[in-house]
Amino acid sequence: MSDQERVRVLSVLVEDGSNTLSKVSGLIRRRGFHVRSISVGPSRAAGRSRMTLTVDAGHAEVDQVRKQLERLVEVVEVEDVTGQYVHSRELVVAKVSASEVAGLLKRGAKVLDAGPDGTTVEFAGEGKDVGDFIDELIQHGVLDVARSGPVVMRRTA
Amino acid sequence: MILEALEREGVEFIFGYPGGANLPIYQHLPEHPKLKHILVRHEQGAAHMADGYARACGKPGVVFATSGPGALNLVTGLATAYMDSVPMIAITGQVASTQVGRDAFQETDVIGATSSVTKHSYLVTNIDQLPRVIHEAFHIATTGRPGPVLIDICKDVQQADAERINTERLDIPGYQLNGHVHLERAREAARAVANAERPVILAGHGVLLSHAESELREFAEKAGAPVGTTLLGIGAFPVNHPLSLHMTGFMGTGWNLKAVQNADVLMMVGMRVDDRVTARLADFAPKVKTFIHIDIDGSEMGKNVRPHIELVADAKNALEAMTPHIGELHEGRGQWFSQIDAWREEHPLKYTHSNGHLQPQDVLIDMYRRCRNEAIVVADVGQNQIWAALWWNYDRPGLFLNSGGSGTMGFALPAAIGAKFGRPDAAVWCVAGEGGFVMTAQELSVAVEHQLDVKIVLLNNFSLGMVRQFQDDFYGGVRSQSELTHMPDFVKLADAYGMPAVRVDRFEEIGPAMDAAERTKGPFLIDFRIDPEANVYPIVPLGKSLNDFWEAPDK
Repeated sequence: MSDQERVRVLSVLVEDGSNTLSKVSGLIRRRGFHVRSISVGPSRAAGRSRMTLTVDAGHAEVDQVRKQLERLVEVVEVEDVTGQYVHSRELVVAKVSASEVAGLLKRGAKVLDAGPDGTTVEFAGEGKDVGDFIDELIQHGVLDVARSGPVVMRRTA
Repeated sequence: MILEALEREGVEFIFGYPGGANLPIYQHLPEHPKLKHILVRHEQGAAHMADGYARACGKPGVVFATSGPGALNLVTGLATAYMDSVPMIAITGQVASTQVGRDAFQETDVIGATSSVTKHSYLVTNIDQLPRVIHEAFHIATTGRPGPVLIDICKDVQQADAERINTERLDIPGYQLNGHVHLERAREAARAVANAERPVILAGHGVLLSHAESELREFAEKAGAPVGTTLLGIGAFPVNHPLSLHMTGFMGTGWNLKAVQNADVLMMVGMRVDDRVTARLADFAPKVKTFIHIDIDGSEMGKNVRPHIELVADAKNALEAMTPHIGELHEGRGQWFSQIDAWREEHPLKYTHSNGHLQPQDVLIDMYRRCRNEAIVVADVGQNQIWAALWWNYDRPGLFLNSGGSGTMGFALPAAIGAKFGRPDAAVWCVAGEGGFVMTAQELSVAVEHQLDVKIVLLNNFSLGMVRQFQDDFYGGVRSQSELTHMPDFVKLADAYGMPAVRVDRFEEIGPAMDAAERTKGPFLIDFRIDPEANVYPIVPLGKSLNDFWEAPDK
């Protein structure tokens, strides 16, 4: 199985609780899966959070990732959105030494602050665009980068 | 508050051990005479007793332990119950909620340490959570695929009081039970078995948990399909039934393995299809065109073997839905039965009866004759377990208990004690090797204290027999650390605990010793000094396919 086929993107609705994150991550580890990225934030429902997980199934059957997550009582719903018709967005915040950042702005970056020591910019986009953006940062003397994992939403149309 | 909730859940026995972080619970225990507390000698013993109790009577076993080492001593017992889907509730004391995270005395992250060996767990830091949590815990432990649930309760919460809540209504969004059987697939599965030229059914623990033995038998008889069981499925199908293939797996019977490896349709019911069943996975049941898998846990589908037809359902419901759709059987069925009969003749279970040493099979055959398919036999782990599994024609469910998935040495004695509490009406026999026995032998105190009629059959071969056998056959004959040269005198050990025991070295002494055990009220131990070279057969060499099983050598 190719590397790409082993990777699943899952949108997981979980009950908030002090144990939830460790139970999800513990399960992924002990079943031999690997987390590529994870984003967590409050969902629309009170007391529940939405996790977006990018998981490599390792040596297991790929559908085991979803099935094992569904066994957790803390997990309310798992949707496998791999390769689905979805919006997938990642956020990157970066500090560059240059004060002239026109090349980054052209890609759609936004300046958060600018000073004598450099400029802080943010950029959001698909994983590939974020990767390209980070490549471009190098030309501007990148000082620091923080990047989120993807969050996904099924397309309306 | 906690004890009242346990009474409401119908708890009769608690297996436990007090300590600093659960003293508030123990302070009020005497006010609840309906809750019978069994004081163990080590928390692992409590977990195995609760496990044996649950396996024997079907009700969830309840365990108490204190924080830190107390709770950690439960871990092996929780893992044993988790692997074998046994309902259990473990209530552990935790340091006060204001102390959590400060490395307080006897503080351990018990949730973290047990998450991988429990079906679910709760850390209770607030009294308001407690009534709901206890009720939910029993629901989760006993429904669907059963399993152990741990409730870690902070000491300050144990001392608080809460409103009693209406426990009738439960709303657990993340815990939905599989309800309906997919009828179209049930029909498809039934037809696939009926149309098969060489069908085989394998039945696991799930059949026993769902009480689907008669449904399995009806389906198998109507579909003309032979049935083998897993180690934990023993009792799901009568061994002396003409369609029985006895036990499967890497120490299963030769005719079972031949049937599995030549089947064209293999239906697996209520089982995990683990490596002890399949041996080398790539060569498991290679001629099968249609795998059918029935299990209540959807994650078992395709975990090890990808089924062509999957039914995520309770075994009883699934079999009931399937039976009406069997229809006409494939005409080649008679030939398949003759072939299996030929294999049964060709590969019988056998052992060397007369080499001057006491043979474990002779001991067990005598014991089983006395059991008359009514007594509960609890085996430990190792050679004793497989001999006990193979050398009796179990024809009823619930009579053979052992640690299958986890393979926990030291299980048998405490589990037999728990089984006796759960089924006081049944005779209980504990079969163990001396290696596993000494791992939890301190629980003899409990058997003596309560004068439990548990008869201990010690198959003493002066070694870790299964390890020794593996070393002899698969690890270059190097007997490394498998010989137990300094063991106690078991008759004196029993005497020290205040119970009778005898030693048996010769075949002729088996009967009189067993007579004495049966005559004696309360616990009794027989130290059977068996052939130290006795081996388990058949056996599939490690890493090989089921085709490659070895049989007992002719001597």
